[in-house]
Amino acid sequence: MSRFLQAAAYGVVQGGLLGLVAVGFSLVWGVMNVVNFSHGALAVAGAYVAWILNVRFGLDPFLAIPVVAVALFAFGYVVQRGLINLVINAPIFLTLLLTFGLNLVILNGLQLLFKADDRTIDTSYASQSFAIGAVNVPYGRLAACFLALGITVALALLMSRTRLGHAIGATGMDRGAARLMGIRARHIYAVTFGIAAALAGVAGTMIATVGSFNPTTTPGQLTLDAFVISVLGGLGNMYGALVGGLVLGIAESLGGLLLTGTWVNAIAMAVLIITLIIRPSGLIGKALYGGRVEV
Amino acid sequence: MAEILRGRARSRQGLFREWIRTRTPANSWPALVGLAVFVAMLGLQQLIEPGTQRLLTSVFLFVALAQAWNIIGGYTGYASFGQVAFFGLGAYTVAVLMNSYHVSFWAALPVAVVVGVVFAVAIGVPLLRLRGHYFAIATLGAAEGAREVINNLTSVTGGGGGITIPTFGTDAPTPYFGKPGFYLAFLVLAAVSVALATVLARSRFGYSMVAVHEDEDAAGAIGINTTVVKVVAFGVSAAIVACAGAFYAFQQIEFYPTDVFDASFTVLMVIMVVIGGSGSVGGPLVGAVGLQLLSQFLRVNLGSFNQLIFGAIIVLVVVFFPQGVVIYVRDAWRTRHFSVLDNVRRYRL
Amino acid sequence: MLEVRHLAKRFGGLWALRDVSFSVSEGEILGVIGPNGAGKSTLVNLITGHARPTTGQVLIAGQDVTGRRPWVIAHDRVARTFQIVKPFRGLTVRENVAIGAMHGNERDGSVRDALATADELLELVGIAKHAHAAPTQLSVADARRLELAKALASRPRLLLIDEVMAGLRHHEIESAVELIHRLRDSGITIVAVEHVMKAIVSVSDRILVLHHGSILALGSPREVLSDPRVVEAYLGHRYVNRRSE
Ligand SMILES: Nc1ncnc2c1ncn2[C@@H]1O[C@H](COP(=O)(O)OP(=O)(O)OP(=O)(O)O)[C@@H](O)[C@H]1O
Ligand SMILES: [Mg+2]
Repeated sequence: MSRFLQAAAYGVVQGGLLGLVAVGFSLVWGVMNVVNFSHGALAVAGAYVAWILNVRFGLDPFLAIPVVAVALFAFGYVVQRGLINLVINAPIFLTLLLTFGLNLVILNGLQLLFKADDRTIDTSYASQSFAIGAVNVPYGRLAACFLALGITVALALLMSRTRLGHAIGATGMDRGAARLMGIRARHIYAVTFGIAAALAGVAGTMIATVGSFNPTTTPGQLTLDAFVISVLGGLGNMYGALVGGLVLGIAESLGGLLLTGTWVNAIAMAVLIITLIIRPSGLIGKALYGGRVEV
Repeated sequence: MAEILRGRARSRQGLFREWIRTRTPANSWPALVGLAVFVAMLGLQQLIEPGTQRLLTSVFLFVALAQAWNIIGGYTGYASFGQVAFFGLGAYTVAVLMNSYHVSFWAALPVAVVVGVVFAVAIGVPLLRLRGHYFAIATLGAAEGAREVINNLTSVTGGGGGITIPTFGTDAPTPYFGKPGFYLAFLVLAAVSVALATVLARSRFGYSMVAVHEDEDAAGAIGINTTVVKVVAFGVSAAIVACAGAFYAFQQIEFYPTDVFDASFTVLMVIMVVIGGSGSVGGPLVGAVGLQLLSQFLRVNLGSFNQLIFGAIIVLVVVFFPQGVVIYVRDAWRTRHFSVLDNVRRYRL
Repeated sequence: MLEVRHLAKRFGGLWALRDVSFSVSEGEILGVIGPNGAGKSTLVNLITGHARPTTGQVLIAGQDVTGRRPWVIAHDRVARTFQIVKPFRGLTVRENVAIGAMHGNERDGSVRDALATADELLELVGIAKHAHAAPTQLSVADARRLELAKALASRPRLLLIDEVMAGLRHHEIESAVELIHRLRDSGITIVAVEHVMKAIVSVSDRILVLHHGSILALGSPREVLSDPRVVEAYLGHRYVNRRSE
């Protein structure tokens, strides 16, 4: 029983973090209909920024977050403005391929710069934990989870309360109409991608603090998680990403406890596919564009 | 007038009869060139060193894979990101049959194709109702899932420990082909898939794939059963991929689930088709040959930078030739309009 | 030929069509009019299987085809055009029509025969000179004619046309009206959704007026035009203005 509780608790804090990984991915998909294969690579790029700041200047990863966010935002803005906007109206596999190529460039660039070694950002507190009854809760993961929650809520407020948020939402629903209203779609798309990149970078920093990362396997895993979570939560839905993250986090840690080998991965994929078939709009909310052949 | 509107009963013809009948001197040259290249490649095998032979063998493999992807992703417009599932299933079917049941390769090959097609129909019926990215993600998930199942069915497949096909001595159900044998096998596979694509493209079925791609409502309205077209296209594509997987398995002798279910196989198929030009026969051909030779060149000459440059080339080609190189050249030739910058404007925001 | 019983369609909270019943006999031309959003296109979609009715039935030649898939209905010799034209952009005009001849009823056995049929149909609707053009290069009027040729290629006995005359000039409307009469004379039953009053009056045997998803009036053009509810609800200023031009 206590093992069960421990796994559930771990799943919850891990899920919050996974939600933060996915929220930017979901935003880009929902608003621009672009599936960003390089999302995990952007997260890892953010992790390296924080890692360098920590190794060189001893900066705490939580304090490095603003720097990471600004750096990744700028990178994301430029990528969207200079590359993705150029093929935004093309058939979907072109945007998929473009971001895949980008993914290769970022990954291999990072690998050439930093080697393929596993890295982690060491802090005095991340591995400490406190106990609630028989359940151990690590401080670092808990803080990361709360940060993820805070950022998701902030993003949801940005989308629902601010002019910028409304502009993003409107462009996502109907680009033509939004342009007629004087919204500069190119700029809005670039800002959207920038925000997504910044969020990925922050998520990467947290992952580097509570665990380890490398430029070869981490990005692909994160992108795949982001796929699954976005589908579960519904595209472009901020809270949906959080819910999807929690579902995946808990399912993986409980599954790991109950199942042998890597069956848990097979089951995660089955859940992904079944969700797509019966409810392409995700567990909550509805999708911004048609996902299914009508009739 | 009444006659046209009522229609005239005419006899139906098979795929190949139809294709042959529509040949004219003007539209026969690609087929003749193709035949000449095939014969030249046959002869070439005697002249080249083993390294080059291995490279060309992998080129042939990718020509077949790219043509297969083009049928579902290019003509029918359903961008599958899970075609490697059929590759892996084909490979494992052959390996398990040869290893555990001592079935000969030639008996195992058709079983592998059937397994691929059955899986394609099983996942195709529900998944081909999804559009766009949803379909792409679902098929990606199906391939990842298939790999995990193979990975965990340890008693049958050997799981993560890999599997070995007996190739020598009395244990071997079929003697190993060796380098020249696989060169020939993959060359024939490539030729068959190119020929199949050529004939399909100008057939009734080819037109119905294009109609489904363009607009399913309109396709349905003129009597095209869109569900059947999509599932059959997916199945034909899966058959070619599974066949390729079967040969690949035998060639490799020993492999792991992560090898034959490697998502980068799928991605390469997509890249080759898109960069060459989807929805044409020449596109995947040029894309597969060009990219496979290019990546070999980069590996040899650029060392650790090769993947970085490869990624950058993909990005640049997607931006500058979004419709694919072959289609860009064809259209530019027809319209005498070669400006690459105008080409970039095509899909720009 | 066509019978519709208590047909209704709901989109979320909106009833696009409510309790619509009527029938069309063989060789008849039924005009369907109504203001924007009246449910005209929805009616066509429900008949051709491009949408499923919430309640009600569709019968073609006495047979219940409610909820059948579009291609099943197409093979029952029912063809349609789309209000927002849906050409297959990757193909030539000629190939667009040929696909219909390959897959419809009495289909041609080979691609070559289908292309020959397409040429004849392009001649019939009057766009033969654009046979080898891309459909995106056609004018609005010609794109509508292409829609019609595609529909005819499947050799229908019942043809539903959704606003093929919208946006056409005067002389173009006249030739379209004449074409529709010729199609009927060759034995095709026609349901024509139109916005252009003058055209619908001259083309139809009977007219069905839809308003907010319900039938407002159904009768001969003369009856419908003189029905005060129709004049008030739909024709009102529109028709009066047109006549005073
Ligand atoms: N797929 C759909 N989802 C939601 N609402 C729809 C859908 N299709 C149509 N509607 C709504 O149903 C109502 C009827 O639409 P319909 O297209 O049938 O009207 P119409 O009479 O053809 O109008 P128009 O003259 O503009 O072509 C409209 O209010 C429309 O907004
Ligand atoms: Mg309408």
